[in-house]
Amino acid sequence: MRRRAALGGLFAGALLTPRASALAGLLRVNRRPSEAFTLPNGLQVVVLPSSRAPIVTQVLVYKVGSADETYGHTGIAHFLEHMMFKGTGALAATEFSRTVARNGGRDNAFTDFDMTGYHQTIASDRLELVMRMEADRMINLRILDGELRPERQVVLEERRMRVDNVPSEMLDEAVREQLFGLHKPYAMPTAGYADDVKKLSVGDLTAFYRRFYAPNNAVLIVAGDTTAEAVRKLAERHYQPIPSRRVEPRQRPAEGGADLPQRVIRADARVPEPRWNRDFLAPSYRGGETRHAHALLVLTRLFGGSETSRLSRALVAQDKIALSATSGYGATALGLTSFEIAVQPARGRSVVEVETAVGDQMKRVLDGGVTAEEVERAQNQLLASAIYSQDSLASGPRLYGNALSTGGSIAELDNWPQAIAAVRPEDVVAAARHVWRDAGAVTSLLTPAEGWK
Amino acid sequence: MTVLRWLALALGFALVASRAEAVEVKEVTTPLGIKAWLVEDSSAPVVALSFSFASGSASDPENQKGLTSLTASLLTDGAGPLDAQAFKQRQEDASVALSFGASLEYVGGSLRLLSAHRDKAFELLRLAVTTPRFDPDRVEQRRAQMIAGLSQANQRPASVAQRTMMATVFAGHPYGANASGVRENLQTLTVPQIKDRAASVLTRNGLIVAAVGDIDAAELSRQLDRAFGGLPAGAARPALPDWMPPIKPRTVNVERPVPQSSVLIALPAIPRDDPDWHAAVVLAHILGGGQQSRLFSEVREKRGLAYSVSSALRSQRKASLLMVATGSAGEKVADSLRVIKSELVRLREGVTDQELAEAKTYLSGSLALLLDSSGSVANLLHTLQVDRQPRDYLDRRAALIGAVKAEDVRRVARRILREEAMTTVVVGRPAGTTSTAEP
Repeated sequence: MRRRAALGGLFAGALLTPRASALAGLLRVNRRPSEAFTLPNGLQVVVLPSSRAPIVTQVLVYKVGSADETYGHTGIAHFLEHMMFKGTGALAATEFSRTVARNGGRDNAFTDFDMTGYHQTIASDRLELVMRMEADRMINLRILDGELRPERQVVLEERRMRVDNVPSEMLDEAVREQLFGLHKPYAMPTAGYADDVKKLSVGDLTAFYRRFYAPNNAVLIVAGDTTAEAVRKLAERHYQPIPSRRVEPRQRPAEGGADLPQRVIRADARVPEPRWNRDFLAPSYRGGETRHAHALLVLTRLFGGSETSRLSRALVAQDKIALSATSGYGATALGLTSFEIAVQPARGRSVVEVETAVGDQMKRVLDGGVTAEEVERAQNQLLASAIYSQDSLASGPRLYGNALSTGGSIAELDNWPQAIAAVRPEDVVAAARHVWRDAGAVTSLLTPAEGWK
Repeated sequence: MTVLRWLALALGFALVASRAEAVEVKEVTTPLGIKAWLVEDSSAPVVALSFSFASGSASDPENQKGLTSLTASLLTDGAGPLDAQAFKQRQEDASVALSFGASLEYVGGSLRLLSAHRDKAFELLRLAVTTPRFDPDRVEQRRAQMIAGLSQANQRPASVAQRTMMATVFAGHPYGANASGVRENLQTLTVPQIKDRAASVLTRNGLIVAAVGDIDAAELSRQLDRAFGGLPAGAARPALPDWMPPIKPRTVNVERPVPQSSVLIALPAIPRDDPDWHAAVVLAHILGGGQQSRLFSEVREKRGLAYSVSSALRSQRKASLLMVATGSAGEKVADSLRVIKSELVRLREGVTDQELAEAKTYLSGSLALLLDSSGSVANLLHTLQVDRQPRDYLDRRAALIGAVKAEDVRRVARRILREEAMTTVVVGRPAGTTSTAEP
């Protein structure tokens, strides 16, 4: 299953007594300061000042995504995201992006299971311009049938490009349907089922917009060459006049698919070499047994996160069963998430060989435990990747947007390095025992048309 | 003022922010004579290095296609006393990212490190470029991965379109070769061939280095001599042959069972050092450089024929192309092509003053938006050196773009947008297009 990257974290000052000197060094790096406040209408605002370049990034994340759709109306969150560029009373269709480009900036948007985000990067003295336009379309969007009809074709082409043209993505949809339960949140594709997208109307989109697009259901992040005071003044001018609205709390199922374990096979003439995957239902920072989340991040690093991980050493380097063997886990979600193991078999190796080898490695973790050295190495990697993320202007808004739109808090982000550093070997084993269960697993095979022995 | 800030100012935010300082990209020459461009920036404890050796896949020997790529991928698979696992472990323990890859004209490398681990990181770089091991079991694994990668690419419509386009436009020229190799050749490559190739690529002659981040000139100089100082000087390399651009229109269809066809159009463009280069950059932007472009408006916004449609200039030492890329459901391909081609013809009549003004504003400012991280700045400085641009190019770029006039764009449009030189590739199941050549 395709994963988003695991949640990284910004850094807090020295704390905790780290067990090892390398870890201590990484923990001591100062975090970049953030400032946060909430407007009276409920809009949460985070400012991440950085004077590295005279540019700012505005990100507005709505706490709504494709997991908030209902079966028969899938694809609505994503279709609405496209229509957000099609004009308001004040701004003609496509003028939003044209205006940003005309001012030397760039803009885009994204839709995910739990969130929908809109972002622009532009010279810092143009912040008010993009803020005025973003606030305008929060309340004044005008969805017209004449604009909706050609855009529906664009949305369907996007689905063809991202999903229908890519066999592994089509399998991914089928795996999610089993893992999270048919027609349930996280099982319904973000791109929507094509049959649903073909039927969505102006009324459907308008109703969804009215239901979820409100200041009290959004997070505004401004990063770059500005100050909290400047952002507050502009936000009060442009976002504050928008009235809050009652938005029902979002629900995510506590359980996954009803009938697990399952096996899903996709034989496809477009597939040259087989792939083997196993996905397990897993807790996130917010859903399920959340106390395992940080340990799962450590587990996935040491089990299948690099070429020195257990899976890669055993299956690729030693036994030459696989060309690659990896694991993946991301903890940022409002509901349950998944822990994935993926193997690209070496030529001529059988399904049984792959499954036996993976099973053996899992058993070694569960029965034999993990070493303190392995855990520390994984922790070092996680903390180092967070330091590298400070070197990028884009990563801060992404991090805060993901966390705050899925029920996380700034305090949790600040404490992330300590939470990672506190994971002990026995926590990793306990997390593996919790997640690696047949009753939460979907095994999937992507094979050439003639199958895989 | 930090480096990214003055780069951004130089790159054209002068238009909107007050321009304070000129960019100072330092040139460092080490005691052993290695040259590098450096920008210091200590706002994060990170250093990024982007470098290259002056020979790439276009110089793969006959019947050894893929040799340079395979060699590059093996450089981090064990060196000196360290086998592959020990090498990777050292990288991970010091949080060093080191990787190599081959493109047509060079073998590129990137090194990213935390400044606290400078010595460890540059020592790993030294080992990788001076004493790579090429252990037989790693060679077999990389070989198998490359062959599997080729099979997978052969099923991705966009990859097939790209490959088919290069093979068609550059038929008979080294640029037509696939940097990832040919299956039959990859199967027969030997360790001695790999070692020979490494020895001929990894030399100081033609080495290009760009460094950005938390490191000063003296320290960089010391570390570069440590890493690269042990390499042989190497001989001058023969130039690649000249390229004869196509003079007849061609359409190549490749059948694939996919719902969305991948479409590429290529036109021979103008060399990177042509006086009209910046006019061509403006032209490509107005044609398909973003959401305000003519193609986006006509193909996507008005007609819903595609999700993605864009155009861009690509240049190598011996060739440059203007490429248009899109993807449409099979039954819409003919319509997409018709609209794109009529836009190419229409653009020969020139652009409006408003289009020109907006393109200039965007192009002057947008490069600054790419300065996201030390690594992206290092890549930019590396590319400028590959393109043989002067060190103060970033200072001058806004003025070069600003000087482009409507008549320049019209002139360059007539030089480039010539239907008789157009090559079209469609991969998928298009309805209503016919192939003028077999793939």
